[in-house]
Amino acid sequence: MADLPTFTRRRLLVLAGAAGAAALLPGLAACGSSVGGGGSGGAKAVKVGLVVPRSGVYAVVGTDLQRGWELWLAGHGGKFGDYAVTTVVADEGETPQTGVPAVQKVLQSDGVDVVVGLVNSATALGVRDAIAESKKILIVANAGAGDITGKARSPYIWRSSFTNAQISSAMGTHLAQSGFKDGVYAIAPDYTAGTEVIAGFTKAFEAGGGKVVGQAKPALGKTSDYQPFLSGIQSSGAKATFSFFSGAEAITFVRQYAQFGLAKSIPLYGSGFLTEGNVLPQQADAALGVQTTLHYTDQLDNPANKEFVATYSAKYGESPSCFSVQAWDAANVLNRALRSATAVDGDTISAALGGVGTIEDSPRGPWTFEGQTPRQTIYLRRVVRTGGKLVNSVVQDLGQQSQPA
Amino acid sequence: MPVWLEANLVSVLNGFAIGFLLFILAVGLSLVFGMMDVLNLAHGALFLGGAYLGASLAGGGASWAGFLGALAIAAVAGLAAGGVLSLLTEPLRNRSHLDQALLTLGVALVVSELLIVVFGDDPLAVGAPPGLDGSVELLGAAYPTYRLALIGVGALLALAVYLVVDRTRIGALVRATVADREMVAALGVDNRLVKAAVFAVGSMLATTAGVLGGPIYGARSGLDSTVLILALVVVVIGGLGSVRGALVGALIIGQIESLGRALLPDFASFILFGALALVLVLRPRGLFGAPAAVPR
Repeated sequence: MADLPTFTRRRLLVLAGAAGAAALLPGLAACGSSVGGGGSGGAKAVKVGLVVPRSGVYAVVGTDLQRGWELWLAGHGGKFGDYAVTTVVADEGETPQTGVPAVQKVLQSDGVDVVVGLVNSATALGVRDAIAESKKILIVANAGAGDITGKARSPYIWRSSFTNAQISSAMGTHLAQSGFKDGVYAIAPDYTAGTEVIAGFTKAFEAGGGKVVGQAKPALGKTSDYQPFLSGIQSSGAKATFSFFSGAEAITFVRQYAQFGLAKSIPLYGSGFLTEGNVLPQQADAALGVQTTLHYTDQLDNPANKEFVATYSAKYGESPSCFSVQAWDAANVLNRALRSATAVDGDTISAALGGVGTIEDSPRGPWTFEGQTPRQTIYLRRVVRTGGKLVNSVVQDLGQQSQPA
Repeated sequence: MPVWLEANLVSVLNGFAIGFLLFILAVGLSLVFGMMDVLNLAHGALFLGGAYLGASLAGGGASWAGFLGALAIAAVAGLAAGGVLSLLTEPLRNRSHLDQALLTLGVALVVSELLIVVFGDDPLAVGAPPGLDGSVELLGAAYPTYRLALIGVGALLALAVYLVVDRTRIGALVRATVADREMVAALGVDNRLVKAAVFAVGSMLATTAGVLGGPIYGARSGLDSTVLILALVVVVIGGLGSVRGALVGALIIGQIESLGRALLPDFASFILFGALALVLVLRPRGLFGAPAAVPR
């Protein structure tokens, strides 16, 4: 009897190993065949794993990403160059605990050639080695951590979105030049992105001669009442507030900022996610006058964006967000790369992505890859009401910005 | 002192607003746990259900009709939900806390998933009813009118619950059941009915608190676990099954969440559980928890 459990466990291990190998085989076979297909000049195909959150707090972002992706494909015959695109969608969930296995799943059991998506930066950093080992391309369509294309850079990981500090440092420079040098209060949730946003802002603001008079980091996802922090802002003597929140926290913060009377005396500035997408209608009048920096707003006046907004709204019944554009551009750059590429392995696509040059037909305006992440225009935006609807109108073009070192 | 109070008046007031809201939420949890030994982890989901009701009926720019309607529907729904929860936990009455916790946790997960299915996963904001949606000037600082009103309503509700539990026959029955369930049963009272009634009223208070808290917290997935943790902390600090304990615990937590965070922003995320740890070390049964009447 005593031997039985050991025996069973060992047998289980053997079985699990066999099952794992079996799961791997079709994957290997699939990518082998698609590479061969590309080379032989027959029906060329590329399989893409779109890994975006379909559950959890980021599900809203996942929906926008998926729509942007599908809209590009629908408008371009479902092809990148001559390659017919097959998309496999997987649920990233909220954390790396769900996101990393989702990426491994599309790589191994679905045998995809390219992975697109990832909202959570920790997930994007967590799959770095898996991506490098499989020599497949990952296009990060949201996650904004600087390290993804900085310290932890891999030749196989490219980004079509933004870096956290890229957006906030543009605001830092702007506020230092706008008469707020004497004092700005900075507030962002206590996690990696919040820290990067504040660091980027502070560095650029202080470089412009500004002084940060106070800083707060409310616990992420556990703070529902910002009154204590708002009192801190009031007593700090700040002339303006710089903030970064998203989702439910953005709604609560902006509404309470107005309720406690701060909006009248201390103007609110922020990283664009504060007022982007679905949070804006919920913030209602409290958001009026809030100014933010971002690489996109649906109000941009260029032909590519006008067409994008029109087709997007017609198909989905709401305006696009920056997230939709990021996924749209991920498809856009893959198309450009595969027009010239002769195979769909990671090294070939990576080399081709390096040569795509300026992406001049993006709804966000022209941008280029610089160190595998966008160098792009950052816009200063103000929330106004036009035609009964709140929008982020463009105040100023703050020029092309790189990922800060 | 006056200078200090003037500087922190808003925080102190806010502590009372949050405190009374927490009391309305936590008193049901405390009574059910103290009386029937049922740890109801679905309590937070009830709160969130109320919040979503408020968000969908009252919406961003609430009218009085929408707001009061939401309160009424939430109260009825809460009573019904409490009855159902009481029925569900009945077969587990002689099992361990863990079994009950698993059951109610499962209910909480199912309910929060259903709420996403029904109301979507976008976070929703809830407006205060007209007349209460502005701010008033208090010693030069603006304070939202709705929160002032919430302090008044919360104080009234706290008084009502206190009077019922402390001064009426029904209240005496409830307290007796908390003190010694078997003895009350021996006197010929069907304590399943007492449990169902307390469960129903406690759940009603939780859903009502959800509607009342809407203009402050909004409605979003995940809010249920946030408020459940706060309510559990209140119950532990105040002591199981004690209305007075729940009130004092809630007011303390309100001040810690508000004034404490304003004065010690760097310790904001630590201070709540620091207070909890302190109480557990000094008074393991909570501030007003009676020593166990029945040896276990």
